[in-house]
Amino acid sequence: MQKEQICFTLNGETIEVYTDPTISLLRLLRDELGLTGTKEGCGEGECGACTVILDGMAVNSCLVPAGKAKNRSVLTIESLAKGDKYHPLQEAFVEKGAVQCGFCSPGMIMSAYALLQESSEPTSIEIRTAISGNLCRCSGYKQIEEAVLSAAEKLKNRGESG
Amino acid sequence: MPTETDIITGDRKTDRGFQTPEVWAKITGKAIYGIDLKLPGMLYGKILRSPHPHARIMGVDLEQARRMPGVRAALAGDELSCKPFGMVYKDELPLAIDRVRYIGDEVAAVAAIDEKIALKALEAINVDYELLPAVFDTEEAMAPGAPQLHDQHPGNLAWQRELTRGNPEAAFKTADLVVEGSFSVPQVHAAYLEPICCVADYDPYGGLTLHTAVQSPDIVRELVADVLDLPVSKVRIIGPVMGGGFGGRVYGNLKVYIISSLLAIRCGRPVRMQLTRQEEFIAGRPMIAAKIRAKLALNQDGTILARAVDLITDNGAYSAQAPWVSKTLSERNDSVYRIPNIRTTVRLVCTNKVPTGQYRAYGNQVGNFAMESLLDMAAKKLGLDPLELRLKNCVKKGEVTVHGLRINSCALSDCLQAAADEIGWHKRKPGRGYGISAAIHAGGSLVFDKNMRGASAYARLEYDGRVTLFSGEQDYGQGTHATFILIAARALGIEPDQIIIYSRDTLTSPFSIGALAMRQTTIGGKAIQLAAEKLREKIAQTAAEMLGEPVVMEGGRVRSATGKTLELSEIAADYRFQTSGLSITGEGKYVPSESAYDDTGYGNIAVAYSFAAHTAEVEVDRETGEVKIIRIVAAHDSGRILNLISARGQVYGGVTQGLGYSCQEGYLFDGGRVLNDSLADYRIPTALDVPDIMPIFIEQDDPEGPFGAKGLGEIVMVPVLGAVANAVADALGIRVTDLPITAERVYQAIVEWECEQ
Ligand code: FES
Ligand code: FES
Repeated sequence: MQKEQICFTLNGETIEVYTDPTISLLRLLRDELGLTGTKEGCGEGECGACTVILDGMAVNSCLVPAGKAKNRSVLTIESLAKGDKYHPLQEAFVEKGAVQCGFCSPGMIMSAYALLQESSEPTSIEIRTAISGNLCRCSGYKQIEEAVLSAAEKLKNRGESG
Repeated sequence: MPTETDIITGDRKTDRGFQTPEVWAKITGKAIYGIDLKLPGMLYGKILRSPHPHARIMGVDLEQARRMPGVRAALAGDELSCKPFGMVYKDELPLAIDRVRYIGDEVAAVAAIDEKIALKALEAINVDYELLPAVFDTEEAMAPGAPQLHDQHPGNLAWQRELTRGNPEAAFKTADLVVEGSFSVPQVHAAYLEPICCVADYDPYGGLTLHTAVQSPDIVRELVADVLDLPVSKVRIIGPVMGGGFGGRVYGNLKVYIISSLLAIRCGRPVRMQLTRQEEFIAGRPMIAAKIRAKLALNQDGTILARAVDLITDNGAYSAQAPWVSKTLSERNDSVYRIPNIRTTVRLVCTNKVPTGQYRAYGNQVGNFAMESLLDMAAKKLGLDPLELRLKNCVKKGEVTVHGLRINSCALSDCLQAAADEIGWHKRKPGRGYGISAAIHAGGSLVFDKNMRGASAYARLEYDGRVTLFSGEQDYGQGTHATFILIAARALGIEPDQIIIYSRDTLTSPFSIGALAMRQTTIGGKAIQLAAEKLREKIAQTAAEMLGEPVVMEGGRVRSATGKTLELSEIAADYRFQTSGLSITGEGKYVPSESAYDDTGYGNIAVAYSFAAHTAEVEVDRETGEVKIIRIVAAHDSGRILNLISARGQVYGGVTQGLGYSCQEGYLFDGGRVLNDSLADYRIPTALDVPDIMPIFIEQDDPEGPFGAKGLGEIVMVPVLGAVANAVADALGIRVTDLPITAERVYQAIVEWECEQ
């Protein structure tokens, strides 16, 4: 495929890349931009390890053609911590023991991030539904659910969202 | 809502939660996993696999592929001179030479400057096959005239075992009751979330370096060196962060390591090879499938007299560890109860299907499903409470089981009672089914290698007063390293955040058998304890020489009788100057006493045994057959719990895997072709599939394990299968004997039952 110029906002910064627009956004991020925090567990839209936020929505980046990012905003796991200040979701994932191998964690956290943008006091079932496209083979999801609940609480107390 | 309180008995302090700092790298996306790694000049390798279940290779034409721009190498089996390899039998070659034996068998491989070109090059390879008759069913494979897979396995029998203990024949004759059943369990995949990936790098001076995450790097290192005919010291494995293992990555995928190495050697450039999810399913190493015929003899009062098992396991095309898995599957459950008489036959049968490997708990969970189903069938016939039947027969501390396992600590009856109480065993809700199941698992197997039973570790005092641990035991998320740090912290009397652990490089880590056989906490942790104690002793010695008087080490510093103190950094610095640069190190070697087992496998096979009892509460829709798991209570005796946060994580995760095994997972075949070769079709549990899971730890110190601890990581999934099967049978009054217990299966069982009535 012909390469083309694509301009989009990545983690809050406007960038321009010259790439084949038919490759997946996941490939663009990982292989061409070196952002390997977003993981690839299947490449077929079935595991959620590649979840990023595209214009506020959690998407499987392995299914999104890079060209679709044009003029839009993409958030990846790399954007959440500000310097050495971790996002409440990241803190809660650690505190609750929600991370075992950690391979699902970036995608899981991005799905939870999208949920918390929508709803500041999610119920357990809303959390489970929001992460139902993110497979985790290690954890049984329990401590992940606890972490998202706790992060929502933290955010509320700080009067922030997301 | 699930309660937060895990019942913990015992008086010792349990650490509620400690994690290694690596967790921060994981949640910020900075941790480098196998699939993230790139080396300068790296090529991309791909494997051409057989589309046929059984065929003769008449020729492989690589010319066209080799001439394609961007292709740096193309290899076929006939031009390699590698030795056959395998854990039990030398039955595999890196690339097939004259025959392929399953759909997915490795035939040729290429390396190219990018993945696209590598895939194109595979299409350009011409293989001339002459089809051979294939066999997919284990019974058909044993029949006379069946297609034969390996000359070394006449009749397609890869392994067999006949075992008698006591006098089962007499027991079955005189028993008040004999119950019988036939059970089947399909192949399941460990389905670690990160696919296997390896970057092989070769230079003639330094040798071969494999950047890949495996549970047993030292064993893989020796195997790879042997196959490639390289000195072991010229093979090094460096492990990136591992995206899950669960036994499926004990040896990872040896073919991938060997083929990427061959390509790297040929090209003189690093070669990266990553399996696709489909390749994971069709050519990874799933847990073996089993058909079990079993019977149990009991007295009227519920005393178990004898157990007989006739097991047929499906080896697939190559054996890997299938004989050992079959053995554990056939007999580990015999040691949960006092069973004096045993009769076991096992036949491991070759078929033209995906070769098999192992998965967390090594077949014990499959045996649990059959054994615990039989127990409930017996309880029903005898009019006994399944809980009482189990309490009556379960093993106790101080006993030696029928296979010679020495039970030095055991809280199984407490586990049974706690799991039953918590689920409301005697306060059942109408319309629900309840099931219970018990398990034993060897924690720290001694039989993997008779000569290499233990583990070793080093602890080094750094110049700044911190401590670094060197271990060969891998952590792929199960929390081993956090536990090791806690053990060392306790032994040294310093804070855990002053300690780091390094395990990922065969060049610097002590040799280890690997993360398998639930040996890490019990055996690896003991080595850490000994290393830390040794280091403590040497620190005290150095300090005593410095101060010229006796000292004690406490609170992270050393204090003398007259009240002089030294910081650890001061002691390290002094030692460095005295020795021109050395550090104070402690070596720990844990060598468990010789395991005395005989040719029949009788004897004490492990350092310690962990126990568990799970209860399940379910609802079954009789119209649709749908099973809804309401709750699982998982009561565990893993000795003292050293790190509660990861112990809980192990239970939630392991029970969830057990639920997948029970109700949703399993390979589906059309002949030799895997039908569900994607995560869309092979469904592992999602967040919406998992019920309330309640971990309970009954803490009693084990005399041998470090600070009283025993293993936990594997046993967590063992009792789930039996508990769920029994709960479904309790709800329905009809028993499903084939896993997974899907809605279709349940519905089918209901229809069949209605026809019979
Ligand atoms: S990698 Fe995108 S869903 Fe699995
Ligand atoms: S922590 Fe390993 S897959 Fe989720």
